[in-house]
Amino acid sequence: MTLRVEKGGLQTTIQGRPRTGKRHLGVPASGPADPLSMALANRLVGNAAFVPALEATLTGVTLRFGSDTHVAVTGAVAKCMLNGLTVNQHATLAVRKDDVLAVGAATCGVRSYVAIAGGLSADNVLDSVSTYLPATFGGHQGRALLDGDELSLLNARARVALLQTPKEFQLPMLRAWTVRAGYSSETMDLDNPERLFAAKFTIGSRSDRMGIRLEGETFATQTSGQMPSAPVFPGIIQCPQDGSLFILSIDAGTTGGYPRVAKIARLDLHVLGQLRPGASLTLLERSDQDAIQELLEKHAYWQPWLPDIRDII
Amino acid sequence: MQSVGDDLISVSVADPAAAQALAAGLRDTGLWIEAVAGIDSVVVRFDIATSTRGDAETRLATLVEGNIQRPQKSSKRVEIPIMYGGEYGPDLPFVCEKLGMTQQEFIALHCGEYTVDMLGFIPGFAYIGGLDARLEIDRLPEPRQFVPAGSVGIAGGRTGLYALPGPGGWPLIGCTACALFDAHSEDPFVLDAGTTVIFSAVDAL
Repeated sequence: MTLRVEKGGLQTTIQGRPRTGKRHLGVPASGPADPLSMALANRLVGNAAFVPALEATLTGVTLRFGSDTHVAVTGAVAKCMLNGLTVNQHATLAVRKDDVLAVGAATCGVRSYVAIAGGLSADNVLDSVSTYLPATFGGHQGRALLDGDELSLLNARARVALLQTPKEFQLPMLRAWTVRAGYSSETMDLDNPERLFAAKFTIGSRSDRMGIRLEGETFATQTSGQMPSAPVFPGIIQCPQDGSLFILSIDAGTTGGYPRVAKIARLDLHVLGQLRPGASLTLLERSDQDAIQELLEKHAYWQPWLPDIRDII
Repeated sequence: MQSVGDDLISVSVADPAAAQALAAGLRDTGLWIEAVAGIDSVVVRFDIATSTRGDAETRLATLVEGNIQRPQKSSKRVEIPIMYGGEYGPDLPFVCEKLGMTQQEFIALHCGEYTVDMLGFIPGFAYIGGLDARLEIDRLPEPRQFVPAGSVGIAGGRTGLYALPGPGGWPLIGCTACALFDAHSEDPFVLDAGTTVIFSAVDAL
């Protein structure tokens, strides 16, 4: 059972479970930049949340199926065509051998997720199949997919239910995002930290799976902007000396020496995968306690559709 | 103990060796999603869906107090030949100008034996302390988007070895042909905290 990549697009990778527990070796988590959207795609084809699936970036991806199977597309808003006919996102699609699925360019959001019943076979490196492009490992030969690549499918269940994601569980894609965030212990190094939560940032073009550049407002640090290298995690917002803020994402380095001024709360980290250059972003101030409470509420909301939500976000 | 985010707690420690020992001890307990050492701190990430912050802090405080072990110094020695300056050490001229020395003086001070303080940042990146005080220099004001694999940088009294290509904020003073990370090897990491490294100057890679 195979899948042929007709058009790989800008950057399509295989992502699976994050590579957790390896940060002390300099190995970041990787995995889907928007794990919620990937879990929603896998849900529609009867897979567990982190069964290896495709993450396409901005331009989409075109696939030809080597056997009958089921697929689903979620994430960024994108026109999807099956053999030239428009098909819905957020729904299970039954496909036949030699069918061609074209996931179009994202018109809102950044990343589309394509899940195939049973999942994709991929290289397991350091306990995960997730592609980590900077070190070229995991996924398909450690790289983004190219036109003509042949991927192997894992075994699918014999029967897959045809589902649609209920409206209340379709993740909205926005042009103006708000995410909840809290001060970090180094925030007070900023000249006026309260501006963090009043600013309207624009997502910069230098944004990828490593991190997201925030434009429109700069900050000055009272110290030289240098500190001994310290552990950092996805969602941490750094302030290098040039004063522009940078959000670390799932492929970011595991330690860093720029001041850590805030952290996006765990419950909103999945949004990082959909922040499109040019979109706007506002940080909503949350205490650690409030961020935790809201995470529990978000888990309760998603639990009926995604029973494993606590593993996902 | 300080918060660096809703699910992160940072603990200050005296030095890199203490950070390594504490982080390794915390990982052994299996109680934390991640326990990562920095130069003078350890940060743990915990599951806020199953544990309150207060409980996590109490547990962490107990473990910090009980942690007195020191890591055994590794007997591993790795020679790292460096080609200083040139295309792959583009910052050497301005570094020397800023430090007020010639490139020859810089190379003489930089060559020698050191100990790896920690791995981090990206796979195989090694932080190597013990630089001569005269080689103290800041990170670049804005990180470079692309640093080639094998690049050698210095910042904050340390040498950094970039095993992989990627972004980086340390002034680059040279490069090495040593392969420091191989994902498909049995033991992907050539260096580890405590490994002795010997820098020497070469004319070509």
